[in-house]
This record gives sequence, structure tokens and C-alpha cells, in this order.
Amino acid sequence: MVARKSARKSKARKAAKKTSKTKARKAPAKASKTSPVSNKAVRLTFSYDGDEVKLLSQQRTEMTVPPSDVVKGYGKYKGFWAELRSASDKPLYRTVMHNPTKNDAEVFPESPAEGISRQPAPKRKGVFVVVVPDTDKGEDVILCRSTPATKGPARGIRALASEPAEEIRRFKLKK
Amino acid sequence: MANGEVLGTTRIVEAGPPEQRWNAVIVSEGYRSDEMAQFATDARQFADTLLSVAPFDRLRAAINIYRVDVTSTESGAKDPKKCNGTGAKPRTYFDASFCSNGIRRLLIANNGRVVKVVSKQVPQWHMAFLAVNSPISGGSGGPVATFSKAPGAVEIAIHEMGHTAFGLADEYEYYSGCASDKGHDKHSKSEPSQPNITTNKNRATTKWRSLIQPATPVPTTSNANCANCDPQPSPVAVGTIGLFEGADYYHCGIYRPEFDCRMRNLNRPFCAVCQQVIVKKLTPFLPV
Repeated sequence: MVARKSARKSKARKAAKKTSKTKARKAPAKASKTSPVSNKAVRLTFSYDGDEVKLLSQQRTEMTVPPSDVVKGYGKYKGFWAELRSASDKPLYRTVMHNPTKNDAEVFPESPAEGISRQPAPKRKGVFVVVVPDTDKGEDVILCRSTPATKGPARGIRALASEPAEEIRRFKLKK
Repeated sequence: MANGEVLGTTRIVEAGPPEQRWNAVIVSEGYRSDEMAQFATDARQFADTLLSVAPFDRLRAAINIYRVDVTSTESGAKDPKKCNGTGAKPRTYFDASFCSNGIRRLLIANNGRVVKVVSKQVPQWHMAFLAVNSPISGGSGGPVATFSKAPGAVEIAIHEMGHTAFGLADEYEYYSGCASDKGHDKHSKSEPSQPNITTNKNRATTKWRSLIQPATPVPTTSNANCANCDPQPSPVAVGTIGLFEGADYYHCGIYRPEFDCRMRNLNRPFCAVCQQVIVKKLTPFLPV
């Protein structure tokens, strides 16, 4: 019975992988290297008000963390991400995020025939959550964000991130 | 004083221990205590819809879905008159309101409160959804994917999950609309960190190069007029992976992997590259 259950489980894993392979063949090379999956995690909840980001809480939890995004070769990438860094500032885990502090919002059509669009949303205030593995080596969590364009017609309230991301805040993990 | 109360949590899709699985949570907003049976039905429907979408349909063994029952004193969500709404101001637990930032369909709740409740009820949560008991069309993204009961609003939640849980970028090529865009002609040269868009049109080095068939032209489409969206239909068969110009709110200089995708338009399947990202992120949650 146990053996049958276990066979079923590994069948599920193979099925997901197989279909994934059929539909999308191999993983993009840049996304194929991942850090080991951890079963201990720290959930960090941040608040933001405009550009100001504050850490509200750190919660240790026993849970599986999704695999890391690449931790090498992304120095000139734009966007928003969080990283877990070691004492020697080595990136241990990285999670690419949809910028939670954007100065606009996604607006959805009433009719499916119309497209999704964006509208400026100047009152930027809210929370976001980052989950990182809870490892002995992890010391800091950093947040990286691109700077919006300051020139051209899409500046000001409609400015979008255009430059490579830079570290905007660093937080010490509680031990 | 809270306008309602947290009643408790029920696991409505069981795949295994929460420490080992990917845990999605759906929370009620604007449901009175006598409407909780309806929420149970709505949550079940949502779970069924989510698990019917590829690639989640083949990752069922990795996913737990929880329902968090939260009652509100009154039914619905705020619908301010300044956005031509009804002016309704129901007292609800998470203060959900349409007309956020003056945009009628932008339905936002107190996400901080939602995160607090979910973290307490399901400490191992990965993705939170807020189901708002209103027939008016609306929703929003962020840490919590919020959606109303209007037909098709579940699509908003699934698109937003693509951003929040899997770091996927928007693949549409305009900001507020093709005709009204200013300053969205050309993307900057910086490569985006998201896995489903790229500025790199080199077949040998682009992000999803291993998925592009040798016979597929690269770029697969090019926009002849960067002052506007590209009006041409797809020159290749549906499902062809290539480099299609226009994405990330820009008409030119940035490419998406397929002509269409759920990250570009609602009611479409996730493209193969987005599916691959999701599968890769969820595979560690499958039973060994």
C-alpha cells in the first residue's frame, strides 16, 4: 500500500515534469541554476509609503521556500528583487518580484475584449511580503529596485523603471 | 472596532503537509455571517478554476488551498460616488473599496490586515487571494490578489498571481492604451529581471533560446511604427515560441515569448515560457 502510494507520488512529479518538457522542452539556461530548497523560512513583511520602505515584522516558519532565481550575472538587470546575503555579502537566495512600490496600478477591463491597462496611482502606500530560506549563513536581506526615468515624456508620475536596479534597503535578520 | 470576525480556516484542497506543499489561501471580504455558505461555494469554485488552468492542472499534487472565513458586518464593498458608483459604504472587515486612486475598477482592501490574518491562520502561506462579495467588476494585485464576484474577475486574480507568486512581467505593449500612450515608444536597453520579457534579440543568447525552433524567425515580429502598438496579426502558428516585439508597457525594443499569453490578455492560457517558470517554482512542492 505504502509502495503504491509512493509510486503514485513520484508519478505526479514525473507527469508535471514530462508535460512541462513536452510543452516547453528545456528550462531557459538563465533560470536553470537554483539554490537548494529549504524547509525553514523567514517571512518578512514590509510597509511602503512612497519610496520609503520599512520592515514591519520577521516571522520564522517551517515551510518550503520556492527555488531561488539566479544569483549570478544579473548586475545590470532592471526590476525589483529581494536577496538573502551572507556575512561576506554573497547572495545566497534571490527572488524576483513585480515591483510592489510602483507608482501606478493595473486596471482590468469589464469586457474581456478590452485590454488590461495601467493608470498612475500617486498614493503609493501598502505592504509587501518576502520569504527567504532560514539558513545559518543568511545575515541580511536586501531590496533592489530600478530608478524610474527622469527624462522623456514618460517622466514624473508616469515614469517607469528603466535603469539597472540598485540596493535601496538592507535589513539584518534576527537570529 | 473590527467590522466582523475571523471564524477560522478550512483546507479545501488537500495535497499534503503545509510545510511541504505550496499553500494558496482564499479569504472572504464583504460576506455577512449568513453569507458564509455562499463564500464556501465561491471559494470551492475558485479552487476548481485555478486547478483547471495550465500548468496548475498538472501540479495539483503540489498545492494545498485553504479557505479563511472572515465575516463582515455588512455585505459588499465601498463604491464611492466620485467614480460614478452607488455611494454604498458597507462596514466590512478589510475595508475593501472600489475607486482607489479615483479608478472605478481598482478594488483594493487593507492588505496589511489581510496579510496579518493569513499569516496567523496559515503561517506557511505562499499566495493570498481576497474574494470580495460584490457583483461590480474590479480587482487589484500586490501581496494579495483581490477580485470581485463579477463574471470573469477570477481571471484578474490568476493574472495577479503570475506577478506576485512567480515574478512574471506584463506582456502588453502599452501603458494606458495604444492611442493615448506618450513616452512608451522604446524600452530602455536595460535587461529586465523577469523571466518572460527580454531586450536581447540574439537567438543564441536570449533568455528562452532553448525553446525557439530553428525554423522560427527571430525576431518573430517587429513593430514598424514605434509610436504605436504593433497592429499586425501573428505571422506564426499559435503556440510558436519566438521573439515578438512589444511588452512591458513599451511598443518597441522589448520582446515577449509568444504572440499571446495570460500576462498580456485575460482569458488566455499562460504562454510556454510562463508555464515553465511556474512549473520550475512549484516542482519542489511535489511529493517525492
